[in-house]
Amino acid sequence: MKALGIEELKTFLESLSDTYDVRAPIELKDGTRTLGRLEEGPLALFGGRTPRKPTDVFFPQFDRVLAAFPDGRVELAPAPQKPIFVVGFTAEDLDCLEFIDKFFSTNFRDHPYYSKRDTAVIVGLSGRCGEAGAFMKIAGGKCDIELIWDGTDFIVAAYSETGNDLVASMDCPTIDAPLDALQRESDALPSEERDILLKASDLIVNGKVPEAFWTEIGDRCIACTSCNLTCPTCTCFDVQDYDYEGGVERSRIWDSCQFDGFMREASGHSPLGTETLRTRRRIHHRLAADRERWGHITCFLCGRCDDACPTGIGIKAVSKEIVARFS
Amino acid sequence: MNKTLTTCPYCGTGCTFYLLTDDAGRPVGVEPSQTHPVTQGRLCVKGWNAFNFITHPDRLTAPLIRRNGKLEPATWDRALDLVVSRLQQTQQNHGADSIAFFSSAKTTNEENYLMMKLARAVFKTNNVDHCARLCHSSTVLGLAATFGSGAMTNSIECMDKADCILVTGSNTTEQHPLIGARIINAVQNGAKLIVADNRRIRLARFADMHIRWKNGTDVAFLNGLMHVIIKEGLEDKQFIKSRTENYEALETTVEQYSPAIAAQICGIRSEEIEQAARMFAKAHNAMIVYSMGITQHTHGVDNVKSCANLAMLTGNVGRAGTGVNPLRGQNNVQGACDMGALPNVYSGYQKVTDDHVRTKFENAWNVEDLPSNVGLTVTTAIDAAADGALKALYIMGENPMMSDPDQNHVRKALDNLDFLVVQDIFPTPTTEFADVILPAACYAEKDGTFTSTERRVQRVRKACKPVGESRADWEVLCEVAYRAGYQKMAYSDPSAIADEIAAVTPIYGGITYDRIDGLGLQWPCPESDHPGTPVLHAEKFSRGLGLFSPAEYKPSAELPDDAYPFVLSTGRCYFHFHTGTMTRRSRLLEREERFPFVEIHPEDAAKIGVADRQPVAVSTRRGEITALARVTDVVVPGVLFMTFHFEEGPANALTNNALDPEAKIPEYKVCAAQIRKAP
Repeated sequence: MKALGIEELKTFLESLSDTYDVRAPIELKDGTRTLGRLEEGPLALFGGRTPRKPTDVFFPQFDRVLAAFPDGRVELAPAPQKPIFVVGFTAEDLDCLEFIDKFFSTNFRDHPYYSKRDTAVIVGLSGRCGEAGAFMKIAGGKCDIELIWDGTDFIVAAYSETGNDLVASMDCPTIDAPLDALQRESDALPSEERDILLKASDLIVNGKVPEAFWTEIGDRCIACTSCNLTCPTCTCFDVQDYDYEGGVERSRIWDSCQFDGFMREASGHSPLGTETLRTRRRIHHRLAADRERWGHITCFLCGRCDDACPTGIGIKAVSKEIVARFS
Repeated sequence: MNKTLTTCPYCGTGCTFYLLTDDAGRPVGVEPSQTHPVTQGRLCVKGWNAFNFITHPDRLTAPLIRRNGKLEPATWDRALDLVVSRLQQTQQNHGADSIAFFSSAKTTNEENYLMMKLARAVFKTNNVDHCARLCHSSTVLGLAATFGSGAMTNSIECMDKADCILVTGSNTTEQHPLIGARIINAVQNGAKLIVADNRRIRLARFADMHIRWKNGTDVAFLNGLMHVIIKEGLEDKQFIKSRTENYEALETTVEQYSPAIAAQICGIRSEEIEQAARMFAKAHNAMIVYSMGITQHTHGVDNVKSCANLAMLTGNVGRAGTGVNPLRGQNNVQGACDMGALPNVYSGYQKVTDDHVRTKFENAWNVEDLPSNVGLTVTTAIDAAADGALKALYIMGENPMMSDPDQNHVRKALDNLDFLVVQDIFPTPTTEFADVILPAACYAEKDGTFTSTERRVQRVRKACKPVGESRADWEVLCEVAYRAGYQKMAYSDPSAIADEIAAVTPIYGGITYDRIDGLGLQWPCPESDHPGTPVLHAEKFSRGLGLFSPAEYKPSAELPDDAYPFVLSTGRCYFHFHTGTMTRRSRLLEREERFPFVEIHPEDAAKIGVADRQPVAVSTRRGEITALARVTDVVVPGVLFMTFHFEEGPANALTNNALDPEAKIPEYKVCAAQIRKAP
């Protein structure tokens, strides 16, 4: 397998810039890590997942979807000029991506999403490049290329035709990479958090979690909506029209089920009209409703909502509390 | 595509985020800073949506001049020449003090500094003020009198170190959400919480004690606490002896406020006062957090002084996890005060009445005869306009038609002016009265600094181009000065203004753009190598010894009677900000709260026969408005609560223009009202 040092990876990414719109984990001026273009900041591949969900490149916070002109013309937002090449999906992020790919193509094919997604190249990141050197699970698929840090180099695995072509073009040595050992290390990662999530899911599905619990959690919710906005599997959006002199511009904007207005009816009544109901829904949707709808829970333990929640009621924290109290 | 680190334009918490722009340079999102000590990778709902109004079609994009009663587009040259000629004409005909300038807590420090420089150096008046008058002018005076510095004593991080937090008159989770969240987390980690607030706010759900006193009885409650603390020997004798003065006067005053007497005034049980006093006084680190529930009263300064008295009595000043912590409501209301956009002080709270200070500024600005009289406040300037004494008004980024008390009075005042210029980002009910409207760039379209509630001076950075022909406020102010014939107000960029601020303002003396590029610095920061000051008054108070300043309970100016049997209190909700100019043009925030509403207790709603979401007419001696009833036990029986965000149901058509005698802050929190089912 090929192996890339950090500088070689950087050179490789730079070499793609004529063909692709390259996004990778970078460090911004105050030390915040995010996905960005290489010219926006130095590469920051180490430190684990980026705080911003990487699915943002296909389903951004604010996306102009069409313009309607006074003469009756309607123009859809154009596809990106260059395909997007995204480095930085963790194994958990790739699970999320797989899910929202499915979501945005089941029963309908979402044009704004797939206009960016169809041509994109996805690069996973794993190995010993997590927070403080922690091992990040090897995805073993669900992306075009995976970069697995062994402590010295990124071992390069290709999982698609595009991936194979790109890896073939890499100007770097092929080494006898110890991927088996890395894979064993990955397989040995603890699964405790997932077990807790599944147990919590069972408890919710089986009606073991009382209303009072959700009220208690809801009391701690300050309705910042960060849980939804940082979640890679949250796909809800609202539609906004701006009526400019030259025509109407329609955009969509990340929405949140933690808003009262999210499900409010024209009468003013909202079926999710209390914090208790909204908080319950947030967890219930991922761990119970989606399990019925898709056959699996739709939290893949990326941990972003837990980090972004100002009062510590992300899905992992709430699941832990459910299991501790109602098992 | 770009990511520009900047500071949130909403409340005073001072969260920083990256404003994301697309390849066309248009705002498309925000991303919270992961490293900022307050933000910590989190934002509230307004922060997450702070990109959404920037390109709203309603933005003012060209100067407008009123001709034959109608506002028509004009060139910048024409608009600015008109502004200068009319202001100069007014000055010549009626004297310098016939003009007033309203600066803005939404704009940068540099712009506030320039506004006060324009008023003083160019137009020779101290009639310059801004909306801190309406929110924390009582803090500035009350804490300056007791401690020597009218600002939050501690840092937001200190919330984590408190053993007991007294939150009074602050709906923290809604108005300073990330600070509110910190308080919730502190409680989860074992801190005691006393919420002294008439409304059942979210924090009350976590409180060890929720004390629902009668609106406006703050001084009686605080004196009652101090009475118990002294009676039971729980005061910090060493602190009182070594760090304070005038203790005997406090002792004498609070002696009159036994728990029984205080409880009777407050409408609570005497045990509540005793228990709260012990809880606060026995904590190792006890902190007071307050906001407009304390300040917006005719006895606002007394309330603030009483908070300071309680902190000094228990030795809770000068250490992490303690202090008197007024939470400033706007992104740069602290900075606007620091910059001297106030009628009595230059930047850094240097008094206009001090000859040495005036001489210093005359030399720095190369002018003569700076005025020595204290100028008009926002509230008294409106009175003066209504009376005809004030002839011209220059408003930057304020909306007094919505924010000031007694809207009919404000309407009369603005109508009565000979000349009104309004510089703003959106049309507002105030711009409707303007002779000239100057379109301003918003926070995302300019450089500068804001100072947060914890005195942290941090950068605001230009992320996108100003819409249309709009210009940054600092550029407009410099143009006005230049056209008025003043040469010493020309700068290459805002960092040059900041350098001038540092040169004339001791508490900002060590603050330059280079030094605050990362996480900012907390003033006082007097020298270029000073690390900033997270906790004030550590070794000694800014004034030397802390001054106990006892206050007697005084009833609010207008109490309920047979004709107006309810108490009306006003404030803000979580999803909107102030007069709604930005949040009501942010899609999701506007969807969340679309209509003016009035909170009414279920018992009262039943009495007048209204159900939730039904229209009601709320009236006071000033006016009547229609709003939707929000039937809730958040309020106690006999009390109504409204927000002032909605043009179509403006709460300030109802409020009372009764002022604190010192701070001139209006009594937004108490007036007499009636309510009935709308026809």
